[in-house]
Amino acid sequence: MKSDILYPGAFPMARVQLAAGESLKAESGAMVSISPTIDVESKVEGGIFKALSRRVLTGEHFFFQTLRATRGAGEALLAPTVPGDILVLELDGMHEYLVQKDGFLAGAEQITIESKMQSLSRGLLGGEGFFILKISGTGQLILNSFGAIHKVELKPDEDYIVDNSHLVAWTATTSYKIEKAASGWISSFTSGEGFVCRFRGPGLVYLQSRNPRGFGAWIRQFMPATSE
Amino acid sequence: MAFTPNALCFGSDLPGQGIPCHVDTTPEGLALAFSGDSGQPAGQTVSFGRLSLEAGGFDHDQLVMKWAQGGAGRTLYIKDAAAIAAFRCTAPPELLAHFDRAAASVRQARATRRTVLLVVVGLLVALGMGAWLGSDALVTWTVGLIPTEWEKQIGEAAMQDVLAQQEVIWEGPAVEAAKEMTTRLTEQIPNSPYRFTVTVVKSPVVNAFALPGGYVVVFTGLIREANSPEEVAGVLGHEINHVLQRHGLERIVKTLGVMAVAAILFGDQQGLIGLAKQLGVEIVTLKYGRDQETEADLTGLRLLHKAKVDPAGMITFFERLAQSEKDKERVELLSTHPMSAPRAARLKAELATLPKFVPEPFALDWEKIQSSLKSVSPPAKS
Repeated sequence: MKSDILYPGAFPMARVQLAAGESLKAESGAMVSISPTIDVESKVEGGIFKALSRRVLTGEHFFFQTLRATRGAGEALLAPTVPGDILVLELDGMHEYLVQKDGFLAGAEQITIESKMQSLSRGLLGGEGFFILKISGTGQLILNSFGAIHKVELKPDEDYIVDNSHLVAWTATTSYKIEKAASGWISSFTSGEGFVCRFRGPGLVYLQSRNPRGFGAWIRQFMPATSE
Repeated sequence: MAFTPNALCFGSDLPGQGIPCHVDTTPEGLALAFSGDSGQPAGQTVSFGRLSLEAGGFDHDQLVMKWAQGGAGRTLYIKDAAAIAAFRCTAPPELLAHFDRAAASVRQARATRRTVLLVVVGLLVALGMGAWLGSDALVTWTVGLIPTEWEKQIGEAAMQDVLAQQEVIWEGPAVEAAKEMTTRLTEQIPNSPYRFTVTVVKSPVVNAFALPGGYVVVFTGLIREANSPEEVAGVLGHEINHVLQRHGLERIVKTLGVMAVAAILFGDQQGLIGLAKQLGVEIVTLKYGRDQETEADLTGLRLLHKAKVDPAGMITFFERLAQSEKDKERVELLSTHPMSAPRAARLKAELATLPKFVPEPFALDWEKIQSSLKSVSPPAKS
C-alpha cells in the first residue's frame, strides 16, 4: 500500500495505491473513487462487540469500508467529510497513536484500532469524550483534521499545552493531563479557552489549526432558529 | 541477523518520535542495539546502577527507564512483554525494588482512578440532592462567603454598564436633593460596610434601583412624579435595604448557580466579576423575590423611622401610583414593586408597631427641584 496526498490544504484527497491482493480499511463514506480492480466490502472491524463499543463509545462508524484489490493492482481516492489536511503516518509496530474520535480516515489492513477509555477528568473535561481510538500495528495510517495539521515534537519531560479542541493525535509515550487554561475557574471559561491538555514528552503531538466546535458555534449564528 | 526493535529510545538530541532499538538484559546491564542508519553507536551497554525505572504509556503498561548519557539524558520505553520479563529475571534486586514500586504505583493509580470515579459520582448525587432540598439555604451560605470588596466591584462594573447607556445628570438641585436624602438615611446605618452613592439619570421612567455595593440610581421620572421628598426617600429606603440585605447578590448567585459557587470557593474574584459583568444590565433588572421585597419594605420603613422621615410617604406614594394605572409602562416601579393590598397592610401594621415620633421634613424646595428637571427631562407622553 502506497499513498500520497492530492491537493494538500483545505480540500485534499488521499490517493492509495494497492498491489494485487492488498486491502485497506477506511472510514465508512470516505471513498471518492476506485479502480475497477478494487472491491468494496463493509466490514465490522474487530467483531460485532468491539465495533458496537466503538460506535457507541467513540462515535466512530460501526462499519469500516474495506477496499480490496481482488482483481489486480489499483488505486482508491479517499476524502474526509470536513475541510482540512490529511496526514499519512507510517506505523512500524513500535509506535502507537491515540487519535481523537473523528481523526481516523484510513489505514493498512494490518493496523489495529481499539477504543480506549480515558480517566474521569480527561473524559469529562478533555473535549474528546471518554473514549478515544488507540491505533497500533504495522503499515500506513491516514488521519484527517479540521484545518491544517501541525506536528509538535516533545523531548523527554518537555511540557506543551494544547487547547483540547485542537487535538488530532499523539503518541502513546506522551502523557497528558487536563488543566484550566487560566488560573481561575471562571476566568478559564471567560477567556474562551476552558480546559487545556498539558502534554509531557517524549513523543509527538499532532494539532489541527481549526476548532470544530468553535466553527460549529460560529456557523450556528447564521442558522434560522426554527425551520418551517 | 535482522534488526528487530523491541523498545523506543528518546533523548533531547534525538528525534521527537524516538529511535527504535533492541534491548537485551545482560548480567552487566542493559545492552542496546540500534540499526545502522540510526546515527547511534551500534551497540552500547548501560550498567544497572545508572538506571531509574517507572511505568509509562497511555495504559501505564510500558516500562520506562531513564539514565544520563553525556550531557543528554536517555529515556527508554519498553512495551515488549518478553523484554520486560527478561529484565525482571536478570536485574539486581535493588533495581527490582524500583520496578515493584513502579508496578505498585500503577496499581495505586488505577485504584485511585476507580475511587475518584465513585467519589465524584457520589458527590454529584449528593450535590443534586442538596440543591434540590435546600437551594435557598445554599444561596444564603454562598452569599455569606462573598467579601464586601467583591460586591463593590460587581456593583461598580454593572454601574459602568448602566451609565454607558444612560444620560447622567451630574449637578443641579435634583442631584443635591437625592444626595441629601440618601445621606440622611445612610447616616442611620451604624458600621455600614458600604459607601452609598446616588446617581440621577435622565429618564421619564418612574423608578429607582440599587446595585450591590451601594450604587443607587434614581430616574428623573421618579422625582417628577413624587409629591414630596418623603415619597422619594421612601423608595430610597427600600432600595438601600436591598443592598444592606444583599438581595442583589442572592439573585446573582441564583442566576449564575454552580458557576458562582465554584468561583467563590476557588477564590476566583475576577471570574465572578467577569460573569456578573457579562450579565450587565440583567443585574439592574433582576427581579427580587417576594420575601426579599417584604424584607426590604419592612427594614426600609424602620430606616425611615430612624431617620425621622415621615414613613407615610412611602406607602401613599405606592398607593397613588397603583391607582393611576393609566401609564403603566412608564411606572416601572410598579412592575417590580406591585402594591398589593396585603403589602400596604403589612407596611401599615409595621408602622403602627413603631414608636410615635415627630417627622422632620426635608428642607427642600420640592417644586423648584421638580421644575429644574423640566429643562432636562421633557414630560413623558401618555
